[in-house]
Amino acid sequence: MAGTTPTDPASLFREMLGQWENMANEFGANVLKSGEFTRVMHGANAANIKFKEARTDMMEKALDAANMPSKSEIADISARLHRIEATVERIESMLSGQVGGITPSEPPRPKPKRTRTPPAKAAG
Amino acid sequence: MSDGASTGILDQARVEFDRALKRNIKGLGYFTSSAPVLGASPKDRLLQRGTMNLYHYRPMSDEVYRVPLLLIMATTNRGYIFDMVPEQSLVEYLLKAGFDVFMLDWDAPRADEKHLGIDDYVLDFLPSCIERVQQETGEDDFTIVGYCFGGVLSALWAGLHPDAPLKNLVCFTTPVNFSEMEMFQAWSDRRFFDVDRLVDSFGNCPADYLYTAFDMLRPGARIAGNIRLMDNMWNDEFVKSFRMFDRWAADMLPLAGEYFRETTKKLMWNNELYNGTMELGGRRVDLGAITAPFLHVTAIHDHIVPSAASAPLIEMIGSTDKEAVAMKGGHVSLVAGGNAIKRLWPKLTDWLSERST
Repeated sequence: MAGTTPTDPASLFREMLGQWENMANEFGANVLKSGEFTRVMHGANAANIKFKEARTDMMEKALDAANMPSKSEIADISARLHRIEATVERIESMLSGQVGGITPSEPPRPKPKRTRTPPAKAAG
Repeated sequence: MSDGASTGILDQARVEFDRALKRNIKGLGYFTSSAPVLGASPKDRLLQRGTMNLYHYRPMSDEVYRVPLLLIMATTNRGYIFDMVPEQSLVEYLLKAGFDVFMLDWDAPRADEKHLGIDDYVLDFLPSCIERVQQETGEDDFTIVGYCFGGVLSALWAGLHPDAPLKNLVCFTTPVNFSEMEMFQAWSDRRFFDVDRLVDSFGNCPADYLYTAFDMLRPGARIAGNIRLMDNMWNDEFVKSFRMFDRWAADMLPLAGEYFRETTKKLMWNNELYNGTMELGGRRVDLGAITAPFLHVTAIHDHIVPSAASAPLIEMIGSTDKEAVAMKGGHVSLVAGGNAIKRLWPKLTDWLSERST
C-alpha cells in the first residue's frame, strides 16, 4: 500500500483482518453447508415452529375465553379493510378519469420530448 | 536506522494518532446522528396494490429516449439500492443520461397476501405495471431491467410473452441454474427442510429467516465489517457508504408464503427453469422464445448468485443480439457504490442508448 512503512502495525493489522475474514468465510461456509449443520438448523426451526403453534393455540383459546378477537381474526378484518380501501381507490380513479392509478394531487407536469438520440461516438 | 526511515515511521505514527483522535470524535457522532436519507429522487407512485408499487421518476432532461425503462427489483429487498443518495444513484444517472425511468418495487406482503404465488408476480403484477408504463408514456415499446430475482421474474414474463413489444431485456446477476447455488441448495435440502410446514405455520416467510440466510453466506463478513468500520471511523465517505449499504442489507422483506413455497420446490428442488420444465398459468416458460436484445451482467465475486448459477442464462435466451458481461465486484457492489459508477452504469447507458430510440 502506498505511504506505508515495513513496520507499520496498522497496515499489518488490516492485512491480518482481511486474511482472517477470508479464512472465516471459507471455513464457515464449509461447516454451514454440511448436511449435519442443515439437519440441526432445521431441527431447531421445526422446534421453534412447534413452540409457536402451541403458543398460538393457547393464546387463541385464552382470547376466546375472554371474548376477544384473535390475531388471525384481526388480520382478516385488516385484509377486508385493505380490499375496501382498494375498491374506493379504484372508484376514485375511475371518477377522475385515471383508470387503474392513484389520483395525482398535483396538476400533470409537462412531458419531455421522446426524441433523444444516442451521443455520437468519438472517432478513433 | 536511517533518518529517512525514522521520519517515515514518525509520519505514519502521526497519521495513526490523528485518525485515532478522529475515530473517537466521529464515533460519538456516528451513534448520535441519523443515517443518510436514501431513495429520495423525486418520483410519483402510479400504481399500488398490496405488495406491489410502480414508481415513475421525474425526468431530469427536456428530451428523453423514446423507449421507457422499467426497473424490476428483487422481491427480497427494497428498490432504493438503485437510488441511494445523489451522485450515487443509478436512477439519477439514468435520468441524467436521458432515460424515462420507472421502477417496480415491493413492500412487505401483508398477512392476507400469503397466497400470492410466482404466477401472481409474473402474470399479474408485471403486466399491470407494463400496461401502466405504456399508458403513461404513450409508447408500446419498453425496456425491462431486472436485478437478481427481479431478473428471474422478468425472464419468466418475457419467456411467456414472446410477441410483447419488449424492446430490450437487461438482467443483473440473475440466477437460472439453481443447482449451482451451493449454500442455498444445502440449506433447502428436501430431506431436512419442511417448506410446507414453515409456510403453513408462518403464512409469509419471515424477513429475519432470509436475513440470517444471506448473512450466513459469509460468516466472517459481519465481524470484519464492524472492525473495518471502527478502523475507518475517521473517514466520512467510508462511514456514509457503510451506513447506506448496511441499512439496505438489513432492510429485507418477507416473502409471500406461496411464492416462497413455489420458489423452493420449482427452482431450488427441481431446477425447473434450467431444465425447461417450468410452467406458469398452465403455460411452459420458454426462454429460447425471447428475441429482444439481451444484456446479462454478472459479478465475478458474487457470493449470493455465483457465476455458475447465472452464466448459463445467456445461452438459454433466444435473442441474436445478446451480450454477457462479467464485471469486477460482488452481488451488491455491481449495481451500487463506487465500483458500479465506474463499471456497470456507463456500460448500461451505452448499451441501452443505442437500442432505445
